Amino acid sequence: MNATRHAITVHVNGAARTTDVEARTSLADLLRHELRLTGTHVACEQGVCGSCTVLLDGVPVRSCLMFAVQSDGRTVETVESLSGGESTADALDRFQRAMSDCHGLQCGFCTPGILMSVTAARREGLGVDETTHDVLGGHVCRCTGYQGIRDAIRTTWDADARDADGPAAGPAADTAARDGGRA
Amino acid sequence: MTAAPLTGQRLNRVTDPMILAGQARYVDDIALTGMLHAAILRSPVAHARIMSFDAADALALDGVVAVLGPDDIARMTEPQPCTWLVPGQRITNVPLADTVVRHIGQPVGIVVAESRALAEDGADLVLVDYDGLPAVAAPEAALAADAPLLYPDLGGNTVAEAVFGTPPEDLERAFATAAHIVERRLEVPRVAPSPMETRGVVADFAPGTGELTVWTSNQGPHMTQQHLAHILRLRIDRIRVVQPHLGGSFGAKDHLYQDEALACLAAVHLRRPVKWIEDRTEHFTATKHGRGGVYHARLALDEDAAFTALDVRITADLGAFPSTVGTGPFQVTAMTSPGPYRYTAAGATLTGVVTNTTPTAAYRGYGQNESAWIRERLIDEAARELGIEAVELRRRNLIPASDMPYATPMHMLYDTGDYPELLHRAERLAAGARRERTGRVRRGIGIAANTEFTGLGPSGILQMLLADYNGWEQARVRIEPDGGATVFTGIADVGQGITTALTQLAADALGMPADAIVVKSGDTATSPMSLLTAAASRGLTVGGTPVIRACRKMRERLVRIAAARFDAAPGDVAFDGVSFRVGDASVALAELARDTWLGWNLPKGELPVLEETDVYDPANVTFAGSVHVAQVAVDLDTATARVEAYWVVHDSGVVVNPKIADGQIIGGIAQGLGGALLERITYAPDGTPLTTTFLDYLLPVSEDMPDIVIEHMHTPSSVTPEGMKGLGEGGTIPSTAAIGNAVADAVPEIAGHLLAAPLAPTVLHGLLAEAHLAR
Repeated sequence: MNATRHAITVHVNGAARTTDVEARTSLADLLRHELRLTGTHVACEQGVCGSCTVLLDGVPVRSCLMFAVQSDGRTVETVESLSGGESTADALDRFQRAMSDCHGLQCGFCTPGILMSVTAARREGLGVDETTHDVLGGHVCRCTGYQGIRDAIRTTWDADARDADGPAAGPAADTAARDGGRA
Repeated sequence: MTAAPLTGQRLNRVTDPMILAGQARYVDDIALTGMLHAAILRSPVAHARIMSFDAADALALDGVVAVLGPDDIARMTEPQPCTWLVPGQRITNVPLADTVVRHIGQPVGIVVAESRALAEDGADLVLVDYDGLPAVAAPEAALAADAPLLYPDLGGNTVAEAVFGTPPEDLERAFATAAHIVERRLEVPRVAPSPMETRGVVADFAPGTGELTVWTSNQGPHMTQQHLAHILRLRIDRIRVVQPHLGGSFGAKDHLYQDEALACLAAVHLRRPVKWIEDRTEHFTATKHGRGGVYHARLALDEDAAFTALDVRITADLGAFPSTVGTGPFQVTAMTSPGPYRYTAAGATLTGVVTNTTPTAAYRGYGQNESAWIRERLIDEAARELGIEAVELRRRNLIPASDMPYATPMHMLYDTGDYPELLHRAERLAAGARRERTGRVRRGIGIAANTEFTGLGPSGILQMLLADYNGWEQARVRIEPDGGATVFTGIADVGQGITTALTQLAADALGMPADAIVVKSGDTATSPMSLLTAAASRGLTVGGTPVIRACRKMRERLVRIAAARFDAAPGDVAFDGVSFRVGDASVALAELARDTWLGWNLPKGELPVLEETDVYDPANVTFAGSVHVAQVAVDLDTATARVEAYWVVHDSGVVVNPKIADGQIIGGIAQGLGGALLERITYAPDGTPLTTTFLDYLLPVSEDMPDIVIEHMHTPSSVTPEGMKGLGEGGTIPSTAAIGNAVADAVPEIAGHLLAAPLAPTVLHGLLAEAHLAR
């Protein structure tokens, strides 16, 4: 209980953040309660459900299973980075928009973790089957029954494949993803 | 020009962009200046008397601000009332923290500190001396003559009893003359509703005004407000309850818990904001479980295989004490047990039993998932014994559309529906379903038919049921001075998307675009009172109807004011959603609204306040219908059952947003699938919970869920003015039974033993081994 504190610098969503944390502080708690990036959610605190997934140096990690000090000097991307924290439909990226079009979210608590894992899969060029099976398989959603999420992944991958500029094209190219859900 | 109606369109949900951007604000996202953090002290034993409570070491820890134990809490609070009783119920209220603990996880105190970590450190230092008592963890064991008693003063563990439907003597007569009787002991175990967001609260007391503001992840702000007022001995008008964005509920958050009340007590006591957030392990023992019944059920048939009688004897596991709704879900099991079939007699008895386990309460389906499991498994067993195809036995016994409205022996009135057509369409939709009874991977097809009790009201029914809830809903619409519309409803959005559907209804009734409308709910300071809110699949039907009516009144009023401005008749005014026009003259809604609020150009007889209100108390509940078909593969080598394909024909009358409707059905099926194959809360006989993490309590993941094929029928309700029926629970209710029936169909050798959900690999392996089918 004798909590030692450590000064760390983490590059979060493009900005260097220097802070002083207890050794026992998890990365999730650092993001949520120190840096006020509350889009990352904690649902099980034991690495099962995937809600707290963020990207550490581009790789999905469970932020509830890491200590904040382990992120010292590294880069972290959270859900707030995907649309610059903007809540308008126009600001959403292709997969975010497909999630809405395909009704891939309900209460939305697990959604940020899924967005981050799928974002990494998309950047890595993973196939649609690998993403719907293995990547989504690392997440628990209690609301949707997953069908809408799988539809959103397929829709996004289809649009990416059609789009010569690939996933980096941004929101402007994303209109193709609209109404791509089940008829 | 008037835009096409939004009702019936697959509109994206209005809340999605906010959620997807990570900007939805859930309760744990709230931080107040000077806020303290709480940890709840919980009983580590299933049954014991607290002999002493010593917080000295905890209070000595730097950063711990206060500790409240059972004596402090008893002195400062009133017990929480049970809100749904049966006549003669022997426990009618529950203290926040008792000196006798009756389940592991029961709160005994609260530690408040400068951080959550320090609160948990402090909790570890509180010394509680428990004098252990014998415990009993299952309802049938609790009824044994020598069972330990949870409340010795009561002389037994039965705390509530009730009888439903056909009188017992008439029921016995029906069974005495039956050609065939199928009788089974069935079980639907406890499950954890498991919203991804656990419970939580932030409470802030303002000593100057004496007002307590409470943000809490809860379905029912008004119910919470009223219970807090009673418990904390405050006036209702001194408490404001605000609902943040909710990360799911599924019934688990439908009432105030002791934990949240303790955090509020601490905030009042310390005059500082206090936050408490439940963790997942707490959730498994502190949040109410769903289901938890044992059922002895009999189905009588005549020589033509027509159903003549149904009898269900329910042993209800209430847990350590009756929850606010007590036997409510089990009563619903009784009342909905007949389903969409005809019988000459149907009756049920209910025995509510206390055990040394977490109390049970609402979970999606609310007793109906259980009644579907009982009835539909029993029907398949009857079909197997009689050598009739299960689908044919159902076809012979479904209530024909020509019999609507139909009163069941349980006094439920089915308003509309065509159940034989649902079955016919389901057979057609699932024509490709495969059955294979050779080889090491079997395949079976399971069917379940259902009626879904939706749109709870009227208030008189709730009064008759001794349930302290209003059945009506109110809506208020305000045209703001800039021409926007704000709709206030008592229906809370718990993640399902009701806000979007209500926006669609309001847009059509006002004749305005959806983006000009904001629906607000979940704040006792501004929302109409609703004690049930979106429970009982009533959000759209009971909550939506007054939205439509208030908005229509508002539109008529705006047209009247515009007509007066042009010295024209209201019938000559055209409104395109933005401006009012008579011939070449026009006025923008924004200008008209501003002028009206200022009291300018106000026609005689019109008030300047641009608000309209409507109150709707439905004449009755309305029944949705569905038929589910599952194709399940059973691997005899691994003893696993896997749902390979799934078809649904669903009838909820007029559907407002088919995208949301399908999402509710599919998500509901996932929960029913979990109940069929994976989910079961288990206890050791001494009351130790064995499922306290997501590693030992498995929720369905993507690979467990096939893509669901849905077809809709649209038989309008005759109860609701717009023909809508509810559907929030319709996916969950029959899916467990459809999957169970499919497993039974795949492996008829063990079908007679597939009576207790879930059909997990451990269960199947044992049965397959007995039948010499295991590897």
